[in-house]
Amino acid sequence: MGADVIDRYVTDLGSRLNGSPRQVRDLLTETRDSLADATEAHLGSGLTEQEAQRRAVDEFGPVRVIANEYQAELAVGYGTRTLVWLAIVLPLMHMAWEYGRMLFIGPWPAFATPPPSWYLFVAKANDLTNGIASAVALAALVAGRLVARRYDPKLLARVAASIGMVAVGAVLAGNLSIVLATAHLDPQRLLQSAPMTIASAVSWIVVVRLGLLARRCLSCATIVV
Amino acid sequence: MKPDALRGHLDALLLATLDGRQLHGYAIIEALQQGSGGALDLPTGTVYPALRRLERAGHVASDWSTVGGRKRRTYRLTSAGRKALHAERAAWREFTTVIGGVLGGGGTWAQT
Repeated sequence: MGADVIDRYVTDLGSRLNGSPRQVRDLLTETRDSLADATEAHLGSGLTEQEAQRRAVDEFGPVRVIANEYQAELAVGYGTRTLVWLAIVLPLMHMAWEYGRMLFIGPWPAFATPPPSWYLFVAKANDLTNGIASAVALAALVAGRLVARRYDPKLLARVAASIGMVAVGAVLAGNLSIVLATAHLDPQRLLQSAPMTIASAVSWIVVVRLGLLARRCLSCATIVV
Repeated sequence: MKPDALRGHLDALLLATLDGRQLHGYAIIEALQQGSGGALDLPTGTVYPALRRLERAGHVASDWSTVGGRKRRTYRLTSAGRKALHAERAAWREFTTVIGGVLGGGGTWAQT
């Protein structure tokens, strides 16, 4: 009967949290342990089980306030995860794609007529976008660690999510631009190798997934009261 | 002591509590309360997000272990955390010296 007080509190807290399931589970496990420890301490001072649990829960803090603080940390956790993925996955994916291209296609064959300067600009910009996006994500991770104690976690989570969404948007725009530009000049180039077409599709899926992760991070950060 | 007054110092208090030892969450809360003679009146649930924040800053590291049949997350200071604690202590000494010199002196304040 007494256990219901702690169970209800932890369940209520859990229902207000949105984040990585592992991080939510860790926080709730720690909460439950802390409440059980506090209950044991209060039992030693002569309270009944139910009174001890009520006092433990009261001391822990109003569930809305605690959920707000936990949620801010969960949002930052999501933001960090998004930036780590951007910093690691984008360059790895780019390298893997280039390696695959050398394996299945070899050096790009020359165009029948020299491509216009705007095409070369788009190609160069697309090549740079992945590198710039991952470098920005890495810099944001380092900066986030340095200012972790100085700034509100809700603000840090929003900044991380915004960087993630802009980076993913830039990568998608770069990829889309080069595909459209190539389709305009020489559509056959896009279908030279079935494995590379599949690799391109997979890389699009990964980038879209990163975008969804960044969007989830933003929604985790903005549900904080 | 009121929670709002404590909030700005919670990180430093947690670093000091973990100085030279490894503790789980509730043991940290108990140590804080004992260290203050019971004067620290903070919702205990706010300690856990603060510990996560310190972990994010690289000042604290944590591990899960089983103690007394219960899974517990224990925290310890990292070398960056020890440096941060040293800086917090120096800043606090400077703060109390300056403010104490004015508030504790009973000098010009009373005459104006």
